[in-house]
Amino acid sequence: MSHAAIPVIETQRLVLRGPEPEDYPNFKATFASYRSRFMGGPLNPYEAWMLYAAEIGHWDIRGFGMWMIHDKDTDDTYGMAGGWQPAGWPEREIAWIIWPDKAGKGYALEATHAVRAHYYANGWDGAVSYLDPMNLDSIRLAERLGATKDKTAQTIDGSDAVYRHPSPAALDGTQLAHGIEMEIGHYADPMFKPKGWALD
Amino acid sequence: MSVTFSAPKLETERLILRAPDLSDFDALADFYTSPRAAFVGGPQSRELSWRALAQEAGHWVLRAFGRWTLIEKDTQAPVGIVGLWHPEGFPERELGWDLFNGATGKGYATEAARAARDYAYNTLGWTTLTSLIAVENHNSARVAERLGATYDSDFTHERYGPMQLWRHLGPEALT
Repeated sequence: MSHAAIPVIETQRLVLRGPEPEDYPNFKATFASYRSRFMGGPLNPYEAWMLYAAEIGHWDIRGFGMWMIHDKDTDDTYGMAGGWQPAGWPEREIAWIIWPDKAGKGYALEATHAVRAHYYANGWDGAVSYLDPMNLDSIRLAERLGATKDKTAQTIDGSDAVYRHPSPAALDGTQLAHGIEMEIGHYADPMFKPKGWALD
Repeated sequence: MSVTFSAPKLETERLILRAPDLSDFDALADFYTSPRAAFVGGPQSRELSWRALAQEAGHWVLRAFGRWTLIEKDTQAPVGIVGLWHPEGFPERELGWDLFNGATGKGYATEAARAARDYAYNTLGWTTLTSLIAVENHNSARVAERLGATYDSDFTHERYGPMQLWRHLGPEALT
């Protein structure tokens, strides 16, 4: 009954660990909120709990899944990020969700960049993100990660847009990779005060 | 692959009860996509059936108990899923059973539920168990009756609608 087999990923500000029972209340609050409207929500308590169980069970069934994003210093949770491929998903997805009151700090960028690097270092040769065309925050994040819309790729059910992530080679010491790391570095700088629209 | 939990293996006369895994998916999906799943939220897509399988595994991690896949000893085929269940939104811990298509009429639900009930009382030390059964699900109500359970009260589930709460015999009545 341990999460020993789920790797722990550390980044500049974050530590990513397998989802634990005690992390559930923040997940539930987010999936009960309007924030979850592009991910099948808002959900009632039963549906939220069952989705959380599915997030955990995904690790068992696929051997990969979604991590819980924690603050490295305070251990507070900020959201989830990781790999996702339930039945019906044509390809392996990099997915994320950030709690509504934690948006705008670059946590999703920092976490997704790290989980993508982890999967690329462990045999993945690519990934996609399936996004609702109305989910502008997530589309912006996909673009900041270097993903581009793939109009020829198979969608889940026709209502989603497929964003294809850059290949491992395109992220290996490239200008794109440096740009992502520079942006994460800005967010990690306590003096950095982003202007304008809050980004994940 | 089991990376996050372990479930004890139980055995009955005709069945092995083991942790749910991906090899159960086709039989589970055949059930959930069929009209027989009408009383447990279905029929639903294969994609949602996959999530249902993930939920079975996740339940073990979140609660440290859950449901087992029933393996028919004669054929080694998965024939159902039975065990201890308490997602948020359920009034109490329950004993639940779903038989896969083609596995009904053999008493497997009753046989496996007895083993799960014994595990709850003798190993986990629980003192009571319930089952939520949809009002029109007469087959399931008959399993509850065979187990000695009785109607307790009505309960409206936020997703499944009106249900009957049945209460099982306690450990003292079974010794």
